[in-house]
Amino acid sequence: MVHALEEVRRVLTPAGTLLDLRPLADSWPVEILEDGNPLETGRLTDLPTGLDDDQAANLAVEEAARRGWFKREGEQTFPLYVYWDNPEEMTDYINERWADFVEMGVGVQQTTRITWADAGDSRRVRMKLKMLLTSWQKQ
Amino acid sequence: MPIQKDPEGTEILHLEEAVAFTGRQVLEIGCGDGRLTWRYAPSAGSVTGIDLDAEALLSAVATRPGVLHQTVSFARASSIDLPFPHEKFEITILAWAL
Repeated sequence: MVHALEEVRRVLTPAGTLLDLRPLADSWPVEILEDGNPLETGRLTDLPTGLDDDQAANLAVEEAARRGWFKREGEQTFPLYVYWDNPEEMTDYINERWADFVEMGVGVQQTTRITWADAGDSRRVRMKLKMLLTSWQKQ
Repeated sequence: MPIQKDPEGTEILHLEEAVAFTGRQVLEIGCGDGRLTWRYAPSAGSVTGIDLDAEALLSAVATRPGVLHQTVSFARASSIDLPFPHEKFEITILAWAL
């Protein structure tokens, strides 16, 4: 990761901007949305790999700052929603793409499916991710 | 549609708060299928998107709007060996990539 940041620095113009945008492990909540109203049905479980990845990324950018490559200009967190057509597609996606770093417990799956089945035609299922955006200036 | 990431456009709102893209030369690392790229590319001077996922890149190329053909390009490349000269870009986005 530190080497990637060194490469980023190399291709940036003097005083250029690096934007580090990434999701953070945060036991992301699952919600059923009905008529625009969200109902939380549970939360994902963060696996050690995901937590380790966040820590490694944080350490890499701090190391880049310590070496004088970049200066932090701003940082913010914000929610980002990911939607699926139904709970089964959400579970499949998590198992196929995110299984290395998060897990959806059986209880959360069951609660989500029951809440989905009980909701009206306008229902949607979504996950609320916690995003980090840090702005760095090349030094 | 099996998945929709950020249909509200929250990411681009925060990115545009952090930096002005207008007329700038941008490198996006981890561009995937261009989901985020299309949101800021219209105002940028030029955009180069890289990713290691060939399938996602093919999707990006296939869905690139006609008006962006001259300003947005894609390449399969790794962030640890960027195939670009020194000081080519004014902005680099690490998009879910670090």
